[in-house]
Amino acid sequence: MGNFFNLIHNELTKIYIQKATWVMYTILAVVIIGAGIIVNTADDIKVSYGEDTWRAELQEENEQLTTEMEGEEFLESINSPLIERNNYYLENDIQPAGYGAWNFVMENSMLLSLVSLFTIIVAAGIVANEFRWGTIKLLLIRPISRTRILASKYISVLLFALFTLLFVLIWSWIIGAIFFGIEGWNPYTVLNKSSGVEYVSIISEIISDYGYQLVNLIMMATFAFMVSSVFRNSALAVGTSIFLMMAGKSIVAFFSDRAWAKYILFANTDLSQYTNGNEPLIEGMSLSFSITVLLVYFVLFLAASWGVFKQRDIAGH
Amino acid sequence: MAETAMELINVKKTIGSKEVIKGLSFAIHKGEVFGFIGPNGAGKTTTIRMMAGLMKLSDGDVRILEKSIKSDYKEAIREVGAIVENPEMYPFMTGLQNLSHYARMIPGITKERIQEVISVVGLEKAMKEKVGKYSLGMRQRLGIAQALLHNPSVLILDEPTNGLDPAGIREIRMYIRKLATEKNVAVIISSHLLSEIELMCDRIGVIKNGELVTVQQVNERAGQKNLKQVQMEVSPVNQAIKLLKTHYHIDAVQTEAFLRFQSKKENIPALIQTLAANGISIYQVGAAKGSLEDKFFDLIGENTIG
Ligand SMILES: Nc1ncnc2c1ncn2[C@@H]1O[C@H](COP(=O)(O)OP(=O)(O)OP(=O)(O)O)[C@@H](O)[C@H]1O
Ligand SMILES: [Mg+2]
Repeated sequence: MGNFFNLIHNELTKIYIQKATWVMYTILAVVIIGAGIIVNTADDIKVSYGEDTWRAELQEENEQLTTEMEGEEFLESINSPLIERNNYYLENDIQPAGYGAWNFVMENSMLLSLVSLFTIIVAAGIVANEFRWGTIKLLLIRPISRTRILASKYISVLLFALFTLLFVLIWSWIIGAIFFGIEGWNPYTVLNKSSGVEYVSIISEIISDYGYQLVNLIMMATFAFMVSSVFRNSALAVGTSIFLMMAGKSIVAFFSDRAWAKYILFANTDLSQYTNGNEPLIEGMSLSFSITVLLVYFVLFLAASWGVFKQRDIAGH
Repeated sequence: MAETAMELINVKKTIGSKEVIKGLSFAIHKGEVFGFIGPNGAGKTTTIRMMAGLMKLSDGDVRILEKSIKSDYKEAIREVGAIVENPEMYPFMTGLQNLSHYARMIPGITKERIQEVISVVGLEKAMKEKVGKYSLGMRQRLGIAQALLHNPSVLILDEPTNGLDPAGIREIRMYIRKLATEKNVAVIISSHLLSEIELMCDRIGVIKNGELVTVQQVNERAGQKNLKQVQMEVSPVNQAIKLLKTHYHIDAVQTEAFLRFQSKKENIPALIQTLAANGISIYQVGAAKGSLEDKFFDLIGENTIG
């Protein structure tokens, strides 16, 4: 087993020693700082509400939002949810926590698509690059089964995704704290959800926002990993994975009237379609159905990678 | 007879519809340097890939210290160190990082052992440099270092002198001999240049078109290396043979009007003077081609591919 940790150590070393990886982290760091600056300059951000004055402050906000709406029709869709939220605080007599690091982390959940992109790039290269560099020969003439080598590579891809995700969370929190301060240790906020206005814990909201997107991340990274080990071509793996990631929803929509549409991977990657108030993409789908479909794809991808990698003759280029 | 380190039993390989290796059988002994030689495309690299576990055998078996590479892969391959064609390493890592990478893949390789192999191949100064900046010769040395890390019983080197300067070739040659003699390692070394490996091999196997043509013992040992095969046209021949025997203790052989014998290069002028002073007529003096080289060209033909 110690040997297996060494293999993972090797794979992570090879990932993190490359400049391209540090470029990825720099991009994430800069994008998060940029988001902080943008949110900070938007004037409707209120960092805190006064202990005694918060009711008046909310009333004032509402009046301002209403007058804005009268002038500009299009603002209605933006402003009326905000008014609804403010009313929820007032009606339930809850003092709003204001904007802070946790809110900022929650709003950055869309950055997970960048994390997905980077994970796909790493997954696409982790087998194919060994062939491109010619290092596969020296890697495989060791007393270690090919299955273990491949497994160490796959697990390293997942670890890369995990570390990158943690980086996004922690860095967002730090930047959020610097720009907006910290709104407490278990802050709550009011959100407009499809099931109506709700008072929710921001931390549990962060976990579910990021968590639902992780499903897609893992499936696409596994797909890239498969293309990488079957075709030994990282560009092909990146290209197909990113294309599918972007086109997935459209593919489902395009075939939605077919009976087999619900078996398409992308009809099942968004598990939040089963949370309360949401409608499943296609009638007759359920959470357990989607999980089964996802597992079948997952196993197929890994089995294809393994089957080809295990049997392949390492010859020429 | 010495113990067998590696044995090939009727090894065959078919790639696509082409039978590239057509049933190779031979054994390599512990402490022996075995030259594996043949023209381009003969199947040397393919055979070596099978020996190192990179390619599956279509038929037959490779046994390393009695362990089958088919049924006992891990145990068999543990005893093998190899470079196959160019020793490609991670260009973005330093020499030391590359070696540490491979060291982590086999239990029991200490930092001291890594330093040891580095000094063996003389790469101490380049260890902190990225491999991407290495010259071909430096990469070749790092490749050898990598192959030696785990003290293998069988060392397989595919064209290891490729890209090395003459001094580098000599060093590696000496080190390989030392490994075989002192550490009892079986070394298989492939080349398409006989002259390059003749000097360090105990036996040479010649492969052509995926078939073993012959296995030859190399008689001359490293110690007698500066002995030259000399060929002379003289008369009378009998007289000359006697003179060489009494003055220089040389046993010359006669073939028609020619004399053949071995001598150190620096002795040749004195030897000619002696013969001339004793009334022998010398028509020509030349170096005779090594017997092995003759055989090699007879067997495979010069510069033929296929
Ligand atoms: N991947 C492959 N697909 C098809 N044929 C191959 C493949 N690899 C090798 N061959 C064929 O196998 C034969 C032996 O090739 P191999 O590389 O083993 O020769 P070699 O003796 O190492 O030659 P060289 O001295 O040029 O290195 C050649 O005829 C080659 O065409
Ligand atoms: Mg070759």
